Amino acid sequence: MDDWSERYGGELERHVAAMLGNAEEARDVVQELWVTALRARPEAGDAVNVRAWLYRVATRRALDRISMRRRRSELLAARSGEVEPGAPPAADAALNRLSEAAAARVRKGVAELPRRQRDAVWLRWIEELDYAAIARRMGSSPEAARANVYQGMKKLRRDLAGVWREEGPI
Amino acid sequence: MTGRGTNCSDEDLLAWILGDLDAEAAEAMTEDLAASPGLRERAAEYRMLHRSAKGLRDGPVIRWRRFDSPFGAMRVAASAAGLVALSWQDESDDAFVAGLERRYPSTPVVRDTDRLAPAEAQLAEYFGRRRPRFDLFVDLTELGDFQRAVLDAASGLEFGETVTYTEIARRIGRPKASRAVGNALGRNPIPIIVPCHRVVRTDGTLGGYTGGLRYKRTLLDIEGRTDLLGSHAQTEIPLA
Repeated sequence: MDDWSERYGGELERHVAAMLGNAEEARDVVQELWVTALRARPEAGDAVNVRAWLYRVATRRALDRISMRRRRSELLAARSGEVEPGAPPAADAALNRLSEAAAARVRKGVAELPRRQRDAVWLRWIEELDYAAIARRMGSSPEAARANVYQGMKKLRRDLAGVWREEGPI
Repeated sequence: MTGRGTNCSDEDLLAWILGDLDAEAAEAMTEDLAASPGLRERAAEYRMLHRSAKGLRDGPVIRWRRFDSPFGAMRVAASAAGLVALSWQDESDDAFVAGLERRYPSTPVVRDTDRLAPAEAQLAEYFGRRRPRFDLFVDLTELGDFQRAVLDAASGLEFGETVTYTEIARRIGRPKASRAVGNALGRNPIPIIVPCHRVVRTDGTLGGYTGGLRYKRTLLDIEGRTDLLGSHAQTEIPLA
């Protein structure tokens, strides 16, 4: 592990900093990554290529930061006037979790997908089955199952675009 | 592959997030993400969606499953609390699911993975005359008080035991409501498991059964009540 951080730490930080536009935050992400990597390593089936795997995990972490950041700024914009500049530190934990109202919107969004898209999205994203298993259950081909997942997710993203923004004050 | 930036399709992004890409393509996507702010914004939204979707698993959901039975294609559905539907009358998956969607608006109605496998197995055993009693939870919470009371009373009937509509009415404290009892049983959402077929008429005839009396006759035959089948002792539905 120390070995990895020494070998890949620098370039990972530069990669994440490019995504976040902030070197300090990038250091945080990569520090967290060593903790995660330590925990996830035994089950990382694709850890044959350590560097590629680290990049993938680091990139996902950076994306999560971006969505958190966006939600925070939208929340603050929604509450502007009531709040002094500077994000309240307590907000961070709450930003990681959706409010119950937003979770209900996501649930409703999934419920209202066309049946085959809904089945495919559920089986892939939530039950984490592979496409062959999904196709068996849906009586279709793996290609069709995959297309259903993608169509469903695209529709969800469109339908739920307002949800993160409309999240009320914490 | 690099340099696609904001032209990169949502399919590619989703494939990356879901881990569907091969190693080389995944690496290219990682580089694209580092290079393109617009792409990152979209990816971040999908990540958010992905993460929030995971929480749905522990919330309200209706799962359904289809399998073959002597009655034809049979479909069952369950909430987290227990079975909510059993049907062999629906013409298609769509028709069955549409009924569930009407009963449970805003709740995802999705394909079962294996939680409903025990229901399928136990029904097969019942039809094979190897199971006198079901070991399954039912969830009647969304029904009205009267219908729930009627179905609860019917659930107390043993394999091969029959009572009259009037007797059920008496047991739920509504002795004059035997016609309403018949209606409530006729709308039983979980037939066989909630054994409404064990309720018959006072004059010794079988009364009604949704979808056709031949099903009721077959179920009573399985339970050894050929005495009730009169001159039509031969069941009309082969069970093999």
